[in-house]
Amino acid sequence: MQIKVAIGTIAFMLTMVIFGYAALREPTRLERFTLAEQGRSIETGAHLYQANCSNCHGVNGLAEECYDLGTGAQIGCIGLPLNYRALLCGDISDRMIALNWQGTKEAFIRSTISSGRAGTEMPTWSEQFGGPLRDDQVRNIVSYVLNYETVELCSGEVIRFEWPDSVDDLLVAFPDSSAENGKALFLSYGCTGCHGIPDEGVVAAVGPDMANIGEVAATRIEGKTALQYIYESILHPSDFIAPECPNGPCSGPPSAMPANFPDRMAVSPGDMVDIFAYLQLLEQ
Amino acid sequence: MATFYDQVKEMGLKQAFVAKSDEVVERITAGMNIGDIRSALRGDEPRRPNPRLRPHADGFWLHIRPSFYHNEITRVYPTFHLGWLSTFMFVWETITGIFLMIFYTPSPLVAYSNMWNIMANVPLGQLMRNMHRLGAEVMVLVVALHMLRTFVTGSYKKPRQFTWATGMILLVLTLMLSFSGYLLPWDQLAYWALTVFISGAESAPAPPVVNQNVLLILQGGPSLGAGGLLRWYLLHVLLMPLLLAIFFFVHYYKVVLHGFSLPPGREEVGEDTAKRIPKNERTYFIPDIMTSEVMWTALLTLFLVAGSLWFWDAPLEHHADPVVTPLHVVAPWYLSWSQGWLKLAPKTVVIGFIPLLMVIFIVMPYFEVGKSRRYADRRVGLSVSMLFIAFMMVSNWMGTPRYRVQSSSDLEVATKLLPEEGVSVLLGIPPEYLWEGQYLPGQVVADNPHLTYGLQVFNDLMVKHSCTNFPGTTIGGVGLETCEAEDHRMPDPYATLTIEQAQEGLVRMVIHIDALNPENTDEYLYNLDWVGYRHENANYEEECSFINKSC
Repeated sequence: MQIKVAIGTIAFMLTMVIFGYAALREPTRLERFTLAEQGRSIETGAHLYQANCSNCHGVNGLAEECYDLGTGAQIGCIGLPLNYRALLCGDISDRMIALNWQGTKEAFIRSTISSGRAGTEMPTWSEQFGGPLRDDQVRNIVSYVLNYETVELCSGEVIRFEWPDSVDDLLVAFPDSSAENGKALFLSYGCTGCHGIPDEGVVAAVGPDMANIGEVAATRIEGKTALQYIYESILHPSDFIAPECPNGPCSGPPSAMPANFPDRMAVSPGDMVDIFAYLQLLEQ
Repeated sequence: MATFYDQVKEMGLKQAFVAKSDEVVERITAGMNIGDIRSALRGDEPRRPNPRLRPHADGFWLHIRPSFYHNEITRVYPTFHLGWLSTFMFVWETITGIFLMIFYTPSPLVAYSNMWNIMANVPLGQLMRNMHRLGAEVMVLVVALHMLRTFVTGSYKKPRQFTWATGMILLVLTLMLSFSGYLLPWDQLAYWALTVFISGAESAPAPPVVNQNVLLILQGGPSLGAGGLLRWYLLHVLLMPLLLAIFFFVHYYKVVLHGFSLPPGREEVGEDTAKRIPKNERTYFIPDIMTSEVMWTALLTLFLVAGSLWFWDAPLEHHADPVVTPLHVVAPWYLSWSQGWLKLAPKTVVIGFIPLLMVIFIVMPYFEVGKSRRYADRRVGLSVSMLFIAFMMVSNWMGTPRYRVQSSSDLEVATKLLPEEGVSVLLGIPPEYLWEGQYLPGQVVADNPHLTYGLQVFNDLMVKHSCTNFPGTTIGGVGLETCEAEDHRMPDPYATLTIEQAQEGLVRMVIHIDALNPENTDEYLYNLDWVGYRHENANYEEECSFINKSC
């Protein structure tokens, strides 16, 4: 019996020692598991993003490379870039200021995904609002999108470009144009997602059709040439809302057309001229 | 009754204090003072009248425990302490379960995040969760072994038939407790195991109106959702523990009433001397049995705590998703036999057979009335039981993933390497060794043993699932078998693993496998790109260190 008492006592003390060890290592373990939860949320978010979001926002979140989920063919990106400084950088990002969002960045993205953005092609995703995703899935996608924020993305120099008021000044600054490159840009900037592919007979889905836009645009505003009108529409889409869109009257203001092209095209302003060439707005 | 003050005046402070302490201890133990406890622990003979019997007579905690046992049954054989062990496990599960209950809400909206909260924010939360889950597995095992032992030693025979019947009910309750706890984390593992179980209950051989209502009751609605989770939670924390406690007391009351059966060879056939223990063959509860039980309690606690901390980890898969069925849904190991049976007979027959079997077991002692408990006289019974155990083992084996329906070869390879759930060789590679690039199966990557090993496993899987139409072909230096007609393996496949950076800290791994159709080389027979993600913080390496995770 004495041996049993001894064994029991030793076992009990060992258990206490193990508990003590576990308690001592607990702070680091908890930290590791907090990170692990975050990491696994990002992993799950990556799968969900590729399955649900990448065909509008691009496989890398840049809104440049979008593929039809059914056929695999490359299509224009309808969505805005998410791997994008104006959305992600700073506690209060430029995008949040533009939309006058008063909450946190995480909540901003979560709310946008959950309830969609009225007047645009962004649908509601949360099942609360009739979408397909549960809240935990929305949160996983938010983790993934927020993970695009890197020091590299946010610390680089912001390239701005003073767009001249008159399109003629732009043409002077960038005299060379390539309609072929313009077509590629028309796809990679995502224009085709809403405006169709004019030279291939793909009709517009959301915004005004671009086939023979040269004639139509000239009639929009008294005293503005077609080129000047298009130029201003790209830079300030909400200033004038076109009367007819494929789904009835065009929505706005604000227009469904993203207002961030002045910043997105600032890196190479000549892209604008190439797109004009592709839309056959330039005098040959 | 003199007050303490009077006692101090009478004998001085020290003496009065000693006397008072003695009195208090004697009240707490219902009859033993400090001196009695010391003498018991030293192994001295008790004084007369024996104070060590008074806790049994006057106290609550020991009133149901026998004050002495037969020497023969205090050894490991014949009981193996399995009954006591089952009780210990029930208490263990109650304590750890209450701890987990504090941090748990039975709602699909938060149940799963509660699990991560327990693991990432609650001090010792993961240990507690592991201890509860490991305890559940051990409890099922112990209770089943307890039943087996009772059968083998013939302890179910008259007058103990009813004890056996309550024991059978306790076994079923233990399985149901374990299984109802399965659903609570609300992860994929839980959701689909329960879904399979409930759909089994639906196909019981009964009128459709019964089946439909059983299904509705078990699911708590048209599909397993919030109502179902709450229901199974209440079953798990309220109804089943309550029933188990009630039946436990009935069971133990009967055990004490009839006495512990002696080893089969010890008594004459037809005799039951368990209640007539000669004076010289007694082992008294205090101190011998009690110290023995405390020792086993300490050892088991040590085993469960150490096991939960270092060797065994409770699984947690992704959030439950009613629209995504994982590739291979397996029953928990203790129900694997039922999955095996489904391969032998139609569902309805199997589901009907299980309750029938339970009834057969419960009433068995009332029909099996052979008087002798000796092994030599019970050859038929023991042979039948051994055959049944063999049958159960084969059924269990048939229920294991090895014996399941295979998906297509390319998917088998890809999901082994980058599974939808759990860890794998590739996921277990430390993040600093996941070098970007495109790799072939079996490729040796210099200075990178982890990735090399992963590619070696990739190669083994490819060889297993491939064949060749050009004898002499190898993958990674291993020769392939020649394709046969109707071969389900991939003919001369080409496979790669691509590792690329998806985001900062997030790696995308793509398993590409393709194989041309030998009949028509313009089309692919197999063409798969299987994607998996791995974040550097995801902590898979730690998961891989537990013995119940395969990496």
